[in-house]
Amino acid sequence: MAEGEFFRAASPQEAAGLLAQHGGSARVLAGGTDLMVAVNKRMFKPQVIIYLGDAGMSGISQEGDALLIGAATPLSVIQASPLVADKTPLLAAAIKQMASPAIRNAGTIGGNLANASPAADTATPLLALGASLKLVGAKGEREVPLAEFFTGPGQSVLGADEIIAQVKVPAQPAEAKWAYRKVGKRKAQSLSVVSVAVYCSISGGQVSGAAIALGAVAPTPLLAQDAAGLLQGKTLDEATIAAAAKAAAEATSPIDDARGTAWYRKRASEAVVKQLLTELAG
Amino acid sequence: MHTLELTVNGQGHKVEVGLKTTLLEVLRDKLHITSPKVGCNTGDCGTCSVLLDGVLVRSCITNALSVQGKSVTTLEGIIEPGDIHPLQKAFHENYGSQCGFCTPGMILASKALLDANPSPTRDEVKEALSGNLCRCTGYVKIIDSVLAAADEMKS
Repeated sequence: MAEGEFFRAASPQEAAGLLAQHGGSARVLAGGTDLMVAVNKRMFKPQVIIYLGDAGMSGISQEGDALLIGAATPLSVIQASPLVADKTPLLAAAIKQMASPAIRNAGTIGGNLANASPAADTATPLLALGASLKLVGAKGEREVPLAEFFTGPGQSVLGADEIIAQVKVPAQPAEAKWAYRKVGKRKAQSLSVVSVAVYCSISGGQVSGAAIALGAVAPTPLLAQDAAGLLQGKTLDEATIAAAAKAAAEATSPIDDARGTAWYRKRASEAVVKQLLTELAG
Repeated sequence: MHTLELTVNGQGHKVEVGLKTTLLEVLRDKLHITSPKVGCNTGDCGTCSVLLDGVLVRSCITNALSVQGKSVTTLEGIIEPGDIHPLQKAFHENYGSQCGFCTPGMILASKALLDANPSPTRDEVKEALSGNLCRCTGYVKIIDSVLAAADEMKS
């Protein structure tokens, strides 16, 4: 027992059962790109690892108007998927800018969300698209909108015996407009200083639906609902865009850290939202 | 301890590992395959890169037990001993390597690219190597090397 136990879960249900059985000493492992960094930095010593790589949780399929993405699907597989490129190009565009090829080959979409980093780069596109998560626990499963999943830095509504099994992403209508921008310290292998995803349906020149999501500028990835509300029924003219960008920046509550100051993040939020909405208007 | 069975460069191995053992530790400390280097040990620098079932990964943050039954290729395994791979030849001829610490990872990242895309553009090479750091060359010679290897491998 000194060396701990390593379980290969054959299903999400088995993984949840093992989590319930082993309590707080157990951690789930998929790609390892977060967990093993913490192990190498001696931030914690694993006692029980539940491996999800053989749990049948990888793959992408279509169900009606939504894509179902297994939580253990590597980011690179999502990035390269023709189905994702066709149905949710906003998600593909965001993943393309994450980390580096080798990290995307191992890191998974479920892991990116479960770790609940305020800077999780799959969270901004998924929030904008209205994604939801299937959580599997020892006592059953539930569906949670991603907008209700994050509760703080590194914290979520995920129960001690629950794992994310699947991400459900509504397909983007072909006429929907979208844009994404990540601001980092450099192009590759970078944590976001600010990331923004905007998503708009426009009919007859007027916005019929809009979402603006921001990352790394609040304790959790953020859906700027007031800002998106200002676009509803409007044409994307300069004044409307400026008002929405201002409201989006007001919704942020950034911190100072090694990558950027709160001052910078708030101003960059406004500037990037403005820039992306202007792109959609053009 | 747990028993790990894996194939490295075509040869089967059985080793004893712990819960926090990484693939890099298995390769270097148990199997004495030393082309993958210990750099940052946090997945940032790329010098520990190997191919896992043909896919480029960081061996330093790959949990050893997660590769049970899988096949690993390191720089030592990309060509028969005594021969030189076109990528190695191109790095040599184009001064793609100075101190050499990043080179095994650079060559494996390049191999992963050329296996999927035999005729990459300069930008595609940059993207493929975006997770591999070099502190000597300034990258220009490395990118030249990969493009030269691609030409050589096509002809």
